Amino acid sequence: MIKLFLKITSYLILLLLALEGLVRFFHLAKDTPQRFIDHAKVEKWVPNQTGISVTGIRRQNSAKYRINTNGFNSYREFDPSKETFELALVGDSFIQGFHQDYDNSIGKKIENVTSDINVFEYGYAGYDFADQIHLIHAYKNDFDLIDAIVIYIDFNTDLKRGTYQVIEDRVALQSPLNNILKKCKLLVYIKSIGLLDPPKKIVANVINCLKSTTKVSVKDQQTKKVVDYSEVYMENFKKLIHQYGFEKQKSWLLLNSNTTPKVFLDYLHSHHFKVIDFYQEFKNATKPTFLIYDQHWNNYGRSLIAKQISESIDH
Amino acid sequence: MPVLWLRVLLHNKFTRPALKESEKNYFGQVLFLTIGILFFFKYYNFFIDSWINLFQFAGYGLKKSWTLNVILPVGISFYTFQTLSYSLDVYYKKIAPTDNFVTFATYVAFFPQLVAGPIEKASNLLPQIANIRNFDYTKCTEGLKLILWGMFKKVAIADAIAPIVDDIFLHYATYPATTLLLGAVFFSFQIYGDFSGYSDIAIGTAKLFGIELVSNFKFPYLSRNISEFWQRWHISLSNWFKEYLYIPLGGSKKRTFISARNISIVFLVSGLWHGANWTFITWGAIHTLLYFPVFFAKKNRKYSKSVVAETSKLPSASDLIKIITTFFLVTLSWIFFRAPSITIALDYFRRMTTYFNYETYQHPNGYRMIDYYILILLFMGYEFYIRKNERQPFNFKSPIIRFLVYTLIVFFLILFYDDQVDRSFIYFQF
Repeated sequence: MIKLFLKITSYLILLLLALEGLVRFFHLAKDTPQRFIDHAKVEKWVPNQTGISVTGIRRQNSAKYRINTNGFNSYREFDPSKETFELALVGDSFIQGFHQDYDNSIGKKIENVTSDINVFEYGYAGYDFADQIHLIHAYKNDFDLIDAIVIYIDFNTDLKRGTYQVIEDRVALQSPLNNILKKCKLLVYIKSIGLLDPPKKIVANVINCLKSTTKVSVKDQQTKKVVDYSEVYMENFKKLIHQYGFEKQKSWLLLNSNTTPKVFLDYLHSHHFKVIDFYQEFKNATKPTFLIYDQHWNNYGRSLIAKQISESIDH
Repeated sequence: MPVLWLRVLLHNKFTRPALKESEKNYFGQVLFLTIGILFFFKYYNFFIDSWINLFQFAGYGLKKSWTLNVILPVGISFYTFQTLSYSLDVYYKKIAPTDNFVTFATYVAFFPQLVAGPIEKASNLLPQIANIRNFDYTKCTEGLKLILWGMFKKVAIADAIAPIVDDIFLHYATYPATTLLLGAVFFSFQIYGDFSGYSDIAIGTAKLFGIELVSNFKFPYLSRNISEFWQRWHISLSNWFKEYLYIPLGGSKKRTFISARNISIVFLVSGLWHGANWTFITWGAIHTLLYFPVFFAKKNRKYSKSVVAETSKLPSASDLIKIITTFFLVTLSWIFFRAPSITIALDYFRRMTTYFNYETYQHPNGYRMIDYYILILLFMGYEFYIRKNERQPFNFKSPIIRFLVYTLIVFFLILFYDDQVDRSFIYFQF
């Protein structure tokens, strides 16, 4: 029996080491750059990091990223000047572009189809409108030199806050233990494919069973009102605009009118906000515009977005 | 569970050693009740529905008030046959009845093979349970290896290709012949990986307890004719039918017509055993038709004691053609096994043979299809390599090569594990 346990243990250790090697060799697990919060209370990536971001089982989608000296994923540095025409793209993971090679990003595509333009991509996964408008405000000196600003906004997810506060949760994830665990690529991979979910679920169920739970009666649940968040989100938008200001002359909101309530679209129109609506462009697309296993825009989708931005800005 | 315990009590009472002569007719009651329970849970609604449909076809409308809303107990067909084999063996004095209730209950409810086999004969399993067993290092390691191999077949083969099979069979009306052929071929591998994977895990788990179960699969897709296929596929069920149905009916020792009738009965009952649906009965009928030419040509025992390329490294061209032909015929029959109805199976078959239009098939979740083609080819290549011993899938002398194979197997497990797939074993439903 002891021989069996010793053999199983030694096999297991060797097996894990071999698997770690294979996962690294085939680069199945994603690299995760370090985050930080800078002096202006903007959360971003620690500058000068490179790596490969991977999604899906068996590396279905992989992309090289390069964090520039400004802390954003881009092939170029952000050095705005009065001499050249500069466009800032501000947004969440769709603009950040960890699902595409950094040198084939939306910004690069815009530069390819528009002459004499430099595009700065201020994209960061998880940014909402509060983050975005705070960023523009925090880097006012730079943005004063930038000639055009395009902010990607998803009404249903980006307007849940009416005031900006630093979200510490994501940065707090970078505990020394987490950083060490992230270095184990096998662990990162099996976590990403959901292999750890069943044991985690078992632990959670055990904890839930041990905890005494307060029962909510069916009647209570039925009497809960369905809240229409549209009004709340609208108020949040107004509040943020009021607090930080908004340069309507040189700013555009990039959105999909099909997923945006009409009342908000009407508000934007009546208050002279400039909008780039990519709904029709995507609707008329001849090929799929989203990655299947990633749910971000694919190369074709990004090309359509780049084309539309290029045609919309006053350059 | 209550059904299972009812069986334990029913059969245990019948087989007490001090069974009096007057109690012998209890055997008949046991048989009636055992088969009756199976019939009630599994076939009652099927026969009622079939009658109603028959009357409706003849122009008489009948209400469906006779059908019952019953849940089929998991694995009922398996433990019904296992308990039946015990009672039949005792009745025919092939084995002595056990007087140990715990031993008998363990035999009926032995957890590794309870819900999907292998269907064990009492003569093999009961003595092993009754005997004192000590820890056996070799058996344990063999068991663990079989469990690993079974997990590979289940997770990396069956579950990995299941979404493709589901997609093709669900949307078969929109796919061309090439895709439908792909769906049928992949289902062949899905059901093989799923069922033989379970059997390997069951046999391996039993080995950890020092118990040897019978082999259930011996590389069936390397068979050179249908007869060999049935000597390699679901062996425990084939043997059960052979011993308790085919031979009592007269086997092949009587006139050819009687033998052919017996073969037909076995295949049709085997089809019905799988499920209460005409698709399974048709599947059994197809195998009868496929078996007849081999039987009449007296080639049904030609390969019973050999494996392909027994003395060579590669199969001969003639053997290869036979293997591909047999696989192709079996694959066609699986369409009826997999399709939810005869109409759909026939329509699937019709499209597969008429709608010739090549289109590259895309995985429903967007994954690379080439990964699956390579996987299946590697799997078949490895099955061929280990074809001589199904109980030792990692029989390499060099520990380094053995370790490399373990590593690759586990690597494939994590490569093809898909958390979107949550499936129980296909044969649990039977």
